[in-house]
Amino acid sequence: MNGVIAGISYRALLGRRRIWLLILLPLVLVAMATLLNLIGAADERTAVTLMRTFAIGTMLPLLGLIAGTGVIAPEIDDGTIIHLLAKPISRPVIAQTKFAVAASMLALFAAVPTFVAAYLLVNLESGIAYGFALGALVGGIAYAAVFMLLGVLTRHAVTIGIVYALVWEGVVGNFVPGARRFSIQQWAQSIADQVSSSPFFSTEITLGFAVPALLIVTVGAVVWSGQRLRGFSLTGDE
Amino acid sequence: MSEPTGVIHDIGYRHYDGARLGRGHATAALAVHSLRGIFGLGRTARSKIIPFVLVGVMLLPAVVSIAIMALIKQEGMRYTEYAVIMQAVLAIFLASQSPYAVAPDLRFRVLPLYLSRPVTLWDYVGAKLAAMTAAMFLLLAVPLTVLFVGEVVIDLPGDTHTVEYLTSMAGAAGYALLLACLGIAVASFTPRRGLGVASVIALYLLASAVSTVLFGVLESMGDDAAAAWAWLINPFFVVDAAVHVGIFGATPASNVIYPPGAGSLVAGVIMIALIGLSVTALIARYRKAASR
Repeated sequence: MNGVIAGISYRALLGRRRIWLLILLPLVLVAMATLLNLIGAADERTAVTLMRTFAIGTMLPLLGLIAGTGVIAPEIDDGTIIHLLAKPISRPVIAQTKFAVAASMLALFAAVPTFVAAYLLVNLESGIAYGFALGALVGGIAYAAVFMLLGVLTRHAVTIGIVYALVWEGVVGNFVPGARRFSIQQWAQSIADQVSSSPFFSTEITLGFAVPALLIVTVGAVVWSGQRLRGFSLTGDE
Repeated sequence: MSEPTGVIHDIGYRHYDGARLGRGHATAALAVHSLRGIFGLGRTARSKIIPFVLVGVMLLPAVVSIAIMALIKQEGMRYTEYAVIMQAVLAIFLASQSPYAVAPDLRFRVLPLYLSRPVTLWDYVGAKLAAMTAAMFLLLAVPLTVLFVGEVVIDLPGDTHTVEYLTSMAGAAGYALLLACLGIAVASFTPRRGLGVASVIALYLLASAVSTVLFGVLESMGDDAAAAWAWLINPFFVVDAAVHVGIFGATPASNVIYPPGAGSLVAGVIMIALIGLSVTALIARYRKAASR
């Protein structure tokens, strides 16, 4: 961990227009919860639907994408990463610091609003609020790691990330059950299901698969990013 | 008579004496250049991968439909449903390619250079919008046309769906115009490509998720009239309701019921309002960018 790098990364994420997108997504989630409350649809099933399709299914990958690629991709795009890499700081430490920044952003902008939205709908009933907040936190951390790795690997990180989140987790996952095993969203839902006792919510992936998978993916992505930064070559903008 | 000293040598610089093609040609050239850039033509091989893979994915259902028609003699996909079914691909294409059309010029602050030529601000914005509209139209019209040609060649018993095909082509123009305006307007707010891609896709996903959740909840509450309105939050269904159903009286995409009566009219108004809003935002954005 390196405080200066963390500070720079926070400023890059919060100081620019990126912050509006980071605020907009959770705001819409909380607004939806309030709206559903107002029209009197605030029951357990609605809460689970909103959490599954919106909080975990839409907001989490998007926030992961914005924060995960946002900590490193703009610097690579600008070429200013070279100033960072030229300093006598170990490259894996740079990767770990940037990952920690992205993960903390997801805790703040994904896990907290998820809890608030679920609380607005059903209070603490059946542990839905705690479960989905924990799921969003763990899933968000994994997304942050994976999308940071993508940002280091390719300049088209955001597009490829979207294709993964939309096409693989969304479309392919719906038709090919096996694809669901390799989806961060599904792992996050397994964690949420473990905490929540709601009868409207069940998942197929067992905890015994989801937890090791999340750990391996997160740690693996951070380590790989560090390794990749060690032998990083800057190519010119097209 | 002495030899002249201090001669300025004539090294052959010449004035341009040819015809000056003027503003229209400059705008057209900019539009064509942008259109080529959107598909990665004239750029590196790597930047051709994503657009052409997406074009390939768009063609996939048409090819599968033709195969179904040829092999098991059943009707394939409905023309007017094509865009709604493939909306994720269209949205990804819009999100990944519209920042390419606008971000580099903003990032390198070359707008004053463009505007020092006969091209005006409206021409510039119009050229970019025209390029993106043409790209989205091609992305949708080519698979539809392939499907139609396939249907004509296979010639199943029963009528050829010529009217449906033409309706879907008009719809494709509507989709292209609305999506291009929205995509370019959102993408132009950031000079960063990655953030532009994320913003466009975030807005699409937000609209689509809000519409799905609201529809599901309202329908489960038994409020079908309100549930029907929830579809109109998603821009893809707005165009389907306005152009396909409203103007040409086609049947809506499957599983979808639009609000009866004023629904199509409201969809049309939403569509026009969104286009107007996007263009206004774009002009305001570029006024600011040009003055820097």
